[in-house]
Amino acid sequence: MRILIVEDDADLSRQLSESLKDAGYAVDVANDGEEGHFLGDTEPYDAVVLDLGLPQIDGISILQKWRTDGRKFPVIILTARDQWSEKVAGFDAGADDYLTKPFHSEELLARLRALVRRAAGHTTDSIDIGSLHVDNRAARAFVDGMPIKLTSHEFRLLSYMAMHKGRVISRTELVEHIYDQDFDRDSNTIEVFVGRLRRKIGTDRIETVRGLGYRLADPDQGNSEE
Amino acid sequence: MSSVDPHKLSRDSTSLAMRLVRSAIFWAVPFLLISALTILWFYRSSTLALFDDPLDATVTSLVAASNSELSKDNPEQILSLAREPLDPRYQQALSGRYWLIGQIYRDGRILPVRASRSMAGETLALEANNAATLYENPSEVLRSQTAGPDNEPLRFSARMAFLPGLEDTPLVMIAAADSRAASRAILRFALLVIAVMLLLIIGVFTAVFMQVRIGLKPLFDLSRQVVDVKEGREIRVSGHYPNEIYPLANELNGLIDHNADVVKRARTHVSNLAHALKTPIAVLQNESEQNKSPLSSIVTRQTATMRKQVEHHLQRARAATRGQLIGTVTEVPPIIEGMVRTMPRIYRHKDVKVVTDVNTDLVFRGEKRDLDEMLGNLIDNAFKWTKSEVSIVAQNSEFDESMMEITISDNGRGIAKEDYAQAIKRGMRLDETTPGTGFGLAIVDDLARAYKGSVALGQADSGGLSVTLTLPRRV
Repeated sequence: MRILIVEDDADLSRQLSESLKDAGYAVDVANDGEEGHFLGDTEPYDAVVLDLGLPQIDGISILQKWRTDGRKFPVIILTARDQWSEKVAGFDAGADDYLTKPFHSEELLARLRALVRRAAGHTTDSIDIGSLHVDNRAARAFVDGMPIKLTSHEFRLLSYMAMHKGRVISRTELVEHIYDQDFDRDSNTIEVFVGRLRRKIGTDRIETVRGLGYRLADPDQGNSEE
Repeated sequence: MSSVDPHKLSRDSTSLAMRLVRSAIFWAVPFLLISALTILWFYRSSTLALFDDPLDATVTSLVAASNSELSKDNPEQILSLAREPLDPRYQQALSGRYWLIGQIYRDGRILPVRASRSMAGETLALEANNAATLYENPSEVLRSQTAGPDNEPLRFSARMAFLPGLEDTPLVMIAAADSRAASRAILRFALLVIAVMLLLIIGVFTAVFMQVRIGLKPLFDLSRQVVDVKEGREIRVSGHYPNEIYPLANELNGLIDHNADVVKRARTHVSNLAHALKTPIAVLQNESEQNKSPLSSIVTRQTATMRKQVEHHLQRARAATRGQLIGTVTEVPPIIEGMVRTMPRIYRHKDVKVVTDVNTDLVFRGEKRDLDEMLGNLIDNAFKWTKSEVSIVAQNSEFDESMMEITISDNGRGIAKEDYAQAIKRGMRLDETTPGTGFGLAIVDDLARAYKGSVALGQADSGGLSVTLTLPRRV
């Protein structure tokens, strides 16, 4: 899961970025409106945390531009403006949620999780694929009830595949959603991660679909899942 | 002695129009009165002069025709008349025209010597002071009044004559005529003058009143415009005004603009302060929660205090600029539509059916952000507490033409009647299980009061809470 944070306060964006990374997300940070708009316009984020009072372009305008251009990722507005008229304007511009400063980071994390899983069509934070249990809230995974030790990249890969379980996911898509902007994007590293993940959760849980990508499936159900 | 406060605005009991009418009457009525009296006096003098003229002539002719001769019977000088005055009315008994020659006593009685036939053997009596005047100025004609032989009012001319041989017994020569016709003429004329004067006064009143109405029309227009601006039908004062009032209208617009400017500036400062303080507080708060040193626990506590303080003072600053923007209005239906669009996005996990019944012509006499804040809080509450349905009804008030009522009801658990008053109090939360920054009703109550409106709690038909917001509307 890859998140964009658009926030002009350096300390706050660093904090947000750290706590989101700890929660298992790949995070990009933009410190002004122009950069924020550009990143959202070019990268396939799974969710965006957007401040409203930004240098160069304000948050509402960025959001409106994204929505006009067909960017559908969920956006949570994080702002000091707590008046109802501003909330309505924010939602009308295309926001999916609205959180006012000051806030607790747990609250932001909970709302982000909700946005991401809703966008993928899930109703709860944890996803079961046969005996594999992925808990996005705690950023942990279990097989047959036993916890599995995963690195943050491995969890991100598993979480993204679990979120889109049953669907064939290309390597490019995986690169775009589990690495942040600054990561060395060599799609071969994906194969390395997939290999490691297979060793930890069981080889047959991740299918390789030749020429297309990977699919996370329940081995006991065969390949019938669509 | 009660002193008048120079900074206090008070209302004079009289209107400007009345002042002008009054001052017009102040000069018009005396002027008309003096004119009427002058005309009457002049008419009366000329009427009496015309009346007295023939009497004077008769007296002159009597004096001229009088002579004295020796009586045939007595060795005394007696009066002789060369000829009698010619007017036939002197011959007809009690005709109202008389002449008389006689000896006058000091008390005014007259012993007749010769008289016109019309006297019918009667005599005249003058007042004592008339007799005295005649004796003092024997050569001058005296004009005065007395009663006639038929007891009719008479005007007479009289003078003394000293005939040769009769120097010791001066004779008075009087010509008199009934004065009733002349009095009647004068009275008729007086009535006519009074009637004309009354008509003139009414005319002047009407003219002054019309003049005031027409002359002061721009002023009345301006005061109507100011009311329109205040009640939100107009944004600024507009129209054509004469030179004297134009600066006032212009200054009013200046004040309205200045007011809007000040309110806007105050708001901008408040909003800037909010943004400037809330982000650092968020940073400090999150940072201190990350680690568990003694320093971080102090920072955690202090940032919580700061957060409350910032919130409190922001609310106060917002409240201070509330309801001050003159003449702003907000259409109600789009605001409710906005809330109905927004709330389900905030309460995605809940399946809430929204029922609205909104009068599409409703216009709130106040600012959009305030209406947003009131409705946002109330509808947010309803969504928070409802089981499945929220109803929003907005209509003109049945009790007050100038107000509207917006009722928001849910089908949740509701609030017990005895807790209504507490629910509206600032900072009060009746149930801590649903997250949020308090019940929000206190903010709504403050806002509604700023607009001279109110918030009333009640029970919905479904048993949930029903909140009725009463606010001023544009009529």
